[in-house]
Amino acid sequence: MSHKAAKLGITSLVLALAFGGLMYTTLSEGTEYYKHVDEVMANPDAWQGKRLQLHGFVQGQPGRKRDSLEYQFDVHQNGKVIRAYYTGIVPDTFKADAEVVLKGRLAPDGTFLVEKDGVMAKCPSKYEPKAQLGTPGV
Amino acid sequence: MASLGYYLLLAAFCVCAYAAAISVAGARRRSRRLIESGVGAFYFITAIMAAASAVIVYSFVTDDFTIRYVSRYSDSVQPLFFKITSYWGGLDGSIMFWVFMLSCFGSAAVYVNRERHRELIPYVVATIAIVQMFFLFLMVVHNNPFTTYLTQAPADGDGLNPLLQNFYMVIHPPTMYLGFVGLTIPFAFGMAALITGHLDDSWLRAVRRWTMFAWLFLTLGLMLGMLWAYEELGWGGYWGWDPVENAGLLPWFTATAFLHSVMVQERRGMLRIWNVTLVILTFFLTIFGTFMTRSGVVQSVHAFGEDPELARMFSVFMVTILVVSFGFVIYRLPILRARNELDSWLSREAAFLANNWILLFGATFVLFATMFPTISEAITGERLTVGPPFFNKWMLPIGLMLLLLTGIGPLLAWRKSTFINLRDQFLFPVLSGLVVGGALLALGVRVWTSGICWTLCAFVTGTMAQEFWRGARVRQDTTGTDLLTAFVGMVSRNKRRYGGYTVHLGIVLIFLGFAGEGYKQDEEASLKPGQQVEVGAFTLRMDAIKVTDDGQKQMITGHMTVFRNGTEEGKIYPAKWFFRKHESQPTTEVAIRRGFFEDFYVVMPAFEVETQTASVAVHVNPLVNWIWFGFGLVAIGTGLALLPETAFAFALSKVPAGAVTTSLLLLALVLAPAVAWAQETVQAKQRSDTRRRLEGDIMCMCGCHTPMGTCQMRPNCAHYDQQAAKVDAMLVEGKSYDAVRASFVEEFGSQYVLAAPIDQGFNRLAWAVPYVVGVLMLGAVFFSARRWSRTRPQDVAADAPLDPTLNERLDDELRNLD
Repeated sequence: MSHKAAKLGITSLVLALAFGGLMYTTLSEGTEYYKHVDEVMANPDAWQGKRLQLHGFVQGQPGRKRDSLEYQFDVHQNGKVIRAYYTGIVPDTFKADAEVVLKGRLAPDGTFLVEKDGVMAKCPSKYEPKAQLGTPGV
Repeated sequence: MASLGYYLLLAAFCVCAYAAAISVAGARRRSRRLIESGVGAFYFITAIMAAASAVIVYSFVTDDFTIRYVSRYSDSVQPLFFKITSYWGGLDGSIMFWVFMLSCFGSAAVYVNRERHRELIPYVVATIAIVQMFFLFLMVVHNNPFTTYLTQAPADGDGLNPLLQNFYMVIHPPTMYLGFVGLTIPFAFGMAALITGHLDDSWLRAVRRWTMFAWLFLTLGLMLGMLWAYEELGWGGYWGWDPVENAGLLPWFTATAFLHSVMVQERRGMLRIWNVTLVILTFFLTIFGTFMTRSGVVQSVHAFGEDPELARMFSVFMVTILVVSFGFVIYRLPILRARNELDSWLSREAAFLANNWILLFGATFVLFATMFPTISEAITGERLTVGPPFFNKWMLPIGLMLLLLTGIGPLLAWRKSTFINLRDQFLFPVLSGLVVGGALLALGVRVWTSGICWTLCAFVTGTMAQEFWRGARVRQDTTGTDLLTAFVGMVSRNKRRYGGYTVHLGIVLIFLGFAGEGYKQDEEASLKPGQQVEVGAFTLRMDAIKVTDDGQKQMITGHMTVFRNGTEEGKIYPAKWFFRKHESQPTTEVAIRRGFFEDFYVVMPAFEVETQTASVAVHVNPLVNWIWFGFGLVAIGTGLALLPETAFAFALSKVPAGAVTTSLLLLALVLAPAVAWAQETVQAKQRSDTRRRLEGDIMCMCGCHTPMGTCQMRPNCAHYDQQAAKVDAMLVEGKSYDAVRASFVEEFGSQYVLAAPIDQGFNRLAWAVPYVVGVLMLGAVFFSARRWSRTRPQDVAADAPLDPTLNERLDDELRNLD
């Protein structure tokens, strides 16, 4: 192996290792598990304290404390239910029976604490506009 | 009509196949006739696609709801403008629009290059035709926009999604298509060069301009998407790292890398394999982005339908692209070898190389993070997602490094920089960076990333200023004219270079705006009349919620007052609109008070009319407008670089020295008083014109969607008569222009009644402009007159203030470029 090739090889190896290491450490704090309600409730203890994206359906009309932005509601899927708490602005499509994805953590008492801006509701109808953004065509 | 459209698509497919086949055959047999037949067929595809487009637009305009696509994206009450633009409102139509644009672009590219690059043309035609065939195939078998209902057709359509009924959403998709489609052209030329083996730099010359053009549109498309997200989606930001946004960003990264590395090949004959690879990658990413977001591979909350069949077809196409194009690259490796080696890491080509690596790393990272949920599910079975914080953590340093290189690159010499010219070149830019950085530190900047960003911005601006200044001085010395003339001459002699610098200045402005993000403040509150919320220096007081209806939609408008440091700034009207047929999907109308330094941004996502309670989210976004200014500058710079070589030629060839200054001086003399005069007359004539201005400003409520002054229904429009009478009455009472407007807003409950919303931040800016221009012109007149009247010393060489090496370098570069 020539001198130049060795130098190049070692440089790229070091760079790759550095990037890989950085990527690994940042990934572990940046990632969230994407889980459905029934998957979490199958073994709630295992998920406590982990960052989650919880997928489920709103059960009944979400409750709102008078004159405040505090919400309390239940999300269900396949017969399992989790109580969730959230303070803040909710999207237009957040209402009874809406399909939602909640970002947050599972508290020790089994309730789900949604973080700021953590409520995302899927629109029942096809939501095309976002699709237009960025990808033309197709 | 529908079957006509369908047969046109089929015909286009067949003609594409013919064009591809006959071109390849012609090239192999060296038959001029066959090749020309291929080119002719290629032009013909454009005609067919134009006809097919005409058919679909006609169907939209005539409300032909038997066609499923029309009924899904239009309805009978939609304004004509949106009926036409519904053409690209959905998937099927946008594929068709894509093919139409590609055929237009391709024909133009072939027409322009048919003589100069004769050997490449047949393969260019074949490549583009094959790409078109793929999309036409998609339409014919899977996404036919001309599908009709088998059963009873609906009486009326569903209507275009209200969120898309927005000016930005009308021009954003075509702009993006222009960018994407434009990037197919370099790919086609690259493939043709690979196939024929004509891999000298001539194919690069053919595509350089096309790439720049496509890049400009891609950039503007991204900006329009950001603007739309900012003004319509109402979450207070403009970029959320959504898979769809990322899909548009990926080819932008590689195209930017290509625009830089192409210069290294032109100047030094290096990076030849790299450039071909970048061209292929860029094209691949345009297709891949489309695939990623439309086939359901990447899940997004925005519910794209999963479409395994579409995914399969795209996969086959993408694999084909990769295998065929990289197969050719490997086959041609022997003649792609670099002619030169990198002499030194302290050289401009090394800076370009670093810039390319970082850009490519950025693209790889975005791709990886976007695909991460899919990848993790495939490997571990657990679906892991990453959010915007993860993207920001990585893209922030990447962006800052790119910004740093923007400043360093122009300061380094080609081949090798010596210590002397490093010191000479870096002194001023580094100083300006340090001064700004020190000042920020002294002022106590609390977000260190923003601080670094601003310091780098100062450094880059220093570099650019120095480049412009020194270039102009050198030219002034060699041509013996005055500085202004020398400056214009320099820019026009070297449009690509100074256009490029202008683009970089625009990028600096954009980064300034990005850095402002670190200082944004948000607040959420639930307000009753009289209650208020404080955000930074601003206070927002809720006054009332009113409900109005204009026939097309019901509007719930929050009436609120903005205070800044305790003094009243004006009213602001966030709203929620419930369009008919889309009641379950109300649109949130954002209210923004734009300002030079910050935007005050209010949304009202929820309300209760009975209790008059409004939930509001308030954002103070510093420096956002700089981003849009920056994009404007980017467009100007690219436009400058794109100007044909002959654009300035007539002015440069035989004009005497000083002519530019003279003409500018005369222009200034004529214009300066005119500007001041215009300001005066507006003041003087205001009263008599008030009525006319009001008619241009207040919408006629008869449903014609135009201001009163241009209402089509006159003279039989009852609404017009009524409103006009009201205006007259108020004017007789002695009310001012603003008072009349205000009372209309009051009466109709929202600014909807106004043709253009009240926007004091900008009004003030517009008001200041004439004065600023006037002062600047006076300064220019003074400066030029002084320069002009001074007698020039005979021995110009004697007072040349620049050292000979720099002079030589600049001369060398001025000669070589262009």
